[in-house]
Amino acid sequence: MNGNHNLRNGILWGLGFVLMIAALYMVFAYVPTEKHGGIVQRIFYFHVPVAWVSFLAFFVTFIYSILYLWKRETKWDAVACASAEVGVIFTTLVLITGPIWAKPAWGIWWTWDARLTTSLVLWLIYVAYLLVRGLTGEPSRAARYGAVIGIVGFIDVPIVFLTVNLWRTQHPTTIIFEGGLTSPMLATLMVCIVAFTVLYIVLIIQSAGLKNLEAEIRRLRIMKAE
Amino acid sequence: MENLGYLLAAYAVIWAVVFGYILVLLRKQRKLKKQVDALKESMEK
Amino acid sequence: MKAFSKIFVIFWKDMLTEVRTREIIISVLVFALLVLVIFSFAFGTGAEVTELAAPGILWVALTFGGVIGLNRTFAVEKENSRLEGLMLCPVDRAVIYWGKLAGSFTFMLAVAVVVTPIFLALFNLPVFLPRLALVIVLALIGFAAVGTLFSALAVNTRARDIMLPILFLPVVVPVIVSAVKATAPVLAGSPWGEMSTWLQIMAAFDIIYLVAATLVFEFVIEE
Repeated sequence: MNGNHNLRNGILWGLGFVLMIAALYMVFAYVPTEKHGGIVQRIFYFHVPVAWVSFLAFFVTFIYSILYLWKRETKWDAVACASAEVGVIFTTLVLITGPIWAKPAWGIWWTWDARLTTSLVLWLIYVAYLLVRGLTGEPSRAARYGAVIGIVGFIDVPIVFLTVNLWRTQHPTTIIFEGGLTSPMLATLMVCIVAFTVLYIVLIIQSAGLKNLEAEIRRLRIMKAE
Repeated sequence: MENLGYLLAAYAVIWAVVFGYILVLLRKQRKLKKQVDALKESMEK
Repeated sequence: MKAFSKIFVIFWKDMLTEVRTREIIISVLVFALLVLVIFSFAFGTGAEVTELAAPGILWVALTFGGVIGLNRTFAVEKENSRLEGLMLCPVDRAVIYWGKLAGSFTFMLAVAVVVTPIFLALFNLPVFLPRLALVIVLALIGFAAVGTLFSALAVNTRARDIMLPILFLPVVVPVIVSAVKATAPVLAGSPWGEMSTWLQIMAAFDIIYLVAATLVFEFVIEE
């Protein structure tokens, strides 16, 4: 059984690696420079997939939190927690690459547009998730609390997005991404999205596997003590 | 080629963070494997 | 309506304790007023400030006062191990949530009732504003719904006092934004239409979170 897992993991890592190389090639060599954006606009091809994956990660945490509260097996919680960690990492990247792109492109580091602001609030909610888990003494309680936050926090996402959207449409200083996507741009974006999704899957498998291992070690230690 | 610095900075950050996390996972894996081996040894005794 | 009477019992017990000791309400009131005053010094209270920043200042005071008050919702229970006793009764967990919720809401409302007129006076605004009362009630329901749930959770973590604000504040961002945006037209005497969307958002948030927290509360206090 483990052999199958190792084969699957190996294939996924390999696939991820190849996709990333392809993505880099497409972003830097294949796709032409966009008319209005200049070369900085190429940040878009990684910024958007990273944002997409961060939302995916928190959705996965939401689903697996429900599964954990229902079935109470460590393996569900391991995925929920791993996904929240990876989600925070990716959200951090969104919040860093966004301003790095915005400054040369539009002259400002930060704007309170709906997507960036929602990412910021998301970051805060899931950092709180990780803090609570870290600061709760007993592991099964930490998992339970995490699950509650994972569910309640995710419900907030559409509400925050809608509210901020409404708030900001009253102040038309928002930045509009002009122009549509030509087909080389779309193709590049698609490859990048797939590449980062595979990266996400691979990271989750590793991280959740380690958490399951940690739980197993704890169980063995308790058994030994008896 | 204006703003090339920004472009490179953005990509550098992404790769640094992703590889950093992968390294963290690898180190944790090594540490846990040592713990498992130690436990197995002591249980065989 | 047995559930309702149980809720009322929990609520009334908290109210009696608070009236007897008065410790929390006075400190929270003083804190909220302090926030109000400090912000007034920081921004001034002239006409331009009133138009731009006054709603925000009111809600910062009510929000931070609220968080401090919410901290206490389950703190007493934990200190006296009363929660275990409560759990032994064959009470539906949701009943405990609603009892505590009623208490938190009433508490924050009491603070708002004192702080708001003082705020209006400081900024030379009309003191009788019934529409403002609606905004405050809707917002505080949202605060109480989320805060009661998280308070039960935070009380069992190591950094309990700071954990509640960290959890609570990001989640209630929609309430804060909506409350501020709904308050501005009230203070300016604008027509109802300008604030209706924000009221709807707050109402939706309240319903969603009351339901979600009711469903999920048992997982927080199970032992």
